Amino acid sequence: MFDSALVDALRLSLQVAACSTALVALPALALGRFLARREFRGRTLVEALAALPLYCPPTAFGFLLLRAFRRDGPLGAQALGFDLDVLLTWRGAVLASAVMSFPLVVRTARVAFENVPPRLEHMAASLGASRAAVLWRVTLPLARNGLIAALLIGFSRSLGEFGATVIVAGNIPGRTQTLATGIFDALQVGDDARAVQLAGWSALLGFVAVWTSEWFLRRSRSAV
Amino acid sequence: MSTTLEIQLTLPLTGFTLALEHATNSRALGVVGPSGSGKSSLVEALAGWRRGARGRIRFDGATWLDSERGVELDAARRAVGYVPQDQLLFPHLDVEANLRFGCTGDEALVERVLRVLEIEPLRTRGVATLSGGERQRVALGRALCARPRLLLLDEPFGALDRPLRRRILPYLLRAQREFGAPFVLVSHDPTEIAAVCDEVLVLREGRVVARGAPSQVLAPGGELDEGFENVLRGRVGAVGASSASVDLGGVVLEVPRTELAPGECAVISVRADDVLVARAAPRGLSARNVLPARVDDVVRGPAARLRVELAGQPLWVELTEAAIDELELTRGAAVFVVVKTRACRVLASAGPA
Repeated sequence: MFDSALVDALRLSLQVAACSTALVALPALALGRFLARREFRGRTLVEALAALPLYCPPTAFGFLLLRAFRRDGPLGAQALGFDLDVLLTWRGAVLASAVMSFPLVVRTARVAFENVPPRLEHMAASLGASRAAVLWRVTLPLARNGLIAALLIGFSRSLGEFGATVIVAGNIPGRTQTLATGIFDALQVGDDARAVQLAGWSALLGFVAVWTSEWFLRRSRSAV
Repeated sequence: MSTTLEIQLTLPLTGFTLALEHATNSRALGVVGPSGSGKSSLVEALAGWRRGARGRIRFDGATWLDSERGVELDAARRAVGYVPQDQLLFPHLDVEANLRFGCTGDEALVERVLRVLEIEPLRTRGVATLSGGERQRVALGRALCARPRLLLLDEPFGALDRPLRRRILPYLLRAQREFGAPFVLVSHDPTEIAAVCDEVLVLREGRVVARGAPSQVLAPGGELDEGFENVLRGRVGAVGASSASVDLGGVVLEVPRTELAPGECAVISVRADDVLVARAAPRGLSARNVLPARVDDVVRGPAARLRVELAGQPLWVELTEAAIDELELTRGAAVFVVVKTRACRVLASAGPA
């Protein structure tokens, strides 16, 4: 049941999803907080741009990343003077997953921050708390469950990421092959049993992550 | 207030603009007015929660707002203790952590607040489990623990029914006496204002329509009236088994005993429609208080009423025009007011004056 190829795909999937969630966490939560509290010109534009990966084909983003990181691309070895070594590596898979999960994390985090009554933050300020203290002592604790849910949703999305990943990182068994790309590989070679096995594991991991995020979302709604 | 609060404020609201100019050094400023008259907006502007406020606000020599000079001090730097109607307790913290939120490490102050407001037994409770009255006391305590220079109390008892409000009121008086912070109290309840404030503003659609001492400004028959209650102050004398005597300043009022102790200051309320007036001292009555007074003002019409002076304190009496005529009640007339002991309600008692 656990052959080494399956173990590799499982390990890589979890590794990529964890790293991509870590990479996305700070900017996505910060943008979520910003969009939840600030009114400014061009807000709709920022929202639309941040949501783009949700509506564009992942292959289009994969292609753009490929262009950006290839040798003569704007983030390639020629332009930077050194090689970031992203393409066809597991780091490429992390980057592709991060880009594709970013909008979901931003969106869920924004809702989590919006659910914190601004008047509680005003109250904290009136009690002498600095902006950082308001964030740390009131906003983050009250938004905590929603933010954990946001990160879990990002993690789930990363686990399922295929289109952009396969273009940027390829589908190299043991190096860049995840559960999602592994299923495609198994189908290509007609190994249905393997495809079923990989799909089963994908579904199980996805279910656990999404179920946990729902649990946190439910708690976040009753927290405030 | 021992310190001066100067307000010159313009704040656009839905349907009208709050435009107010007032300077005061009273210790307790009351703000009354019908719903939607701009009371809460005024308090939020003082707290620094309202963007868009124009004009000047100065307190104790510090400028909080000066829109001409582009000065708008952050809420965090105004050092106000704000107790809003919805309390805004932090739901993720227990009572003690709420109290300590704005505290600067003054343990003795926290313990004193816990004791004075009688919230010690609640200290480890989650705020979701508190009753309405407990929430109000915790919110007041949290504001006091932050050592505010000015307390802003926006309908602090508004969500409570009248009997509970009357039970909470003593805590406010105690806080006023023990912690000494001047405050602005917004209320719908003239009795509350009369019991704790020495100056009152009446707002209507964002404008001040009356200002002055509560005894002058708050009178029955107004739109704020829902069974007008007079507020009297005096010193507790003898305390008997079921009643206590309160010296109003030469005239002694017998009131229910409650928890009064000799020598304390007491704040007593008496409904204007619970007071009888007689031209001669009646005999053979069950009412324990037959007190000499002098008619100070006579208001005729459907809501006829008198103001009498009882030991130097104003007391409104509601009666009919026919009674005014029959008893020939005119300004300066000597009368006796008759009040049952049980019609007197002890709002609060405080330590020796």
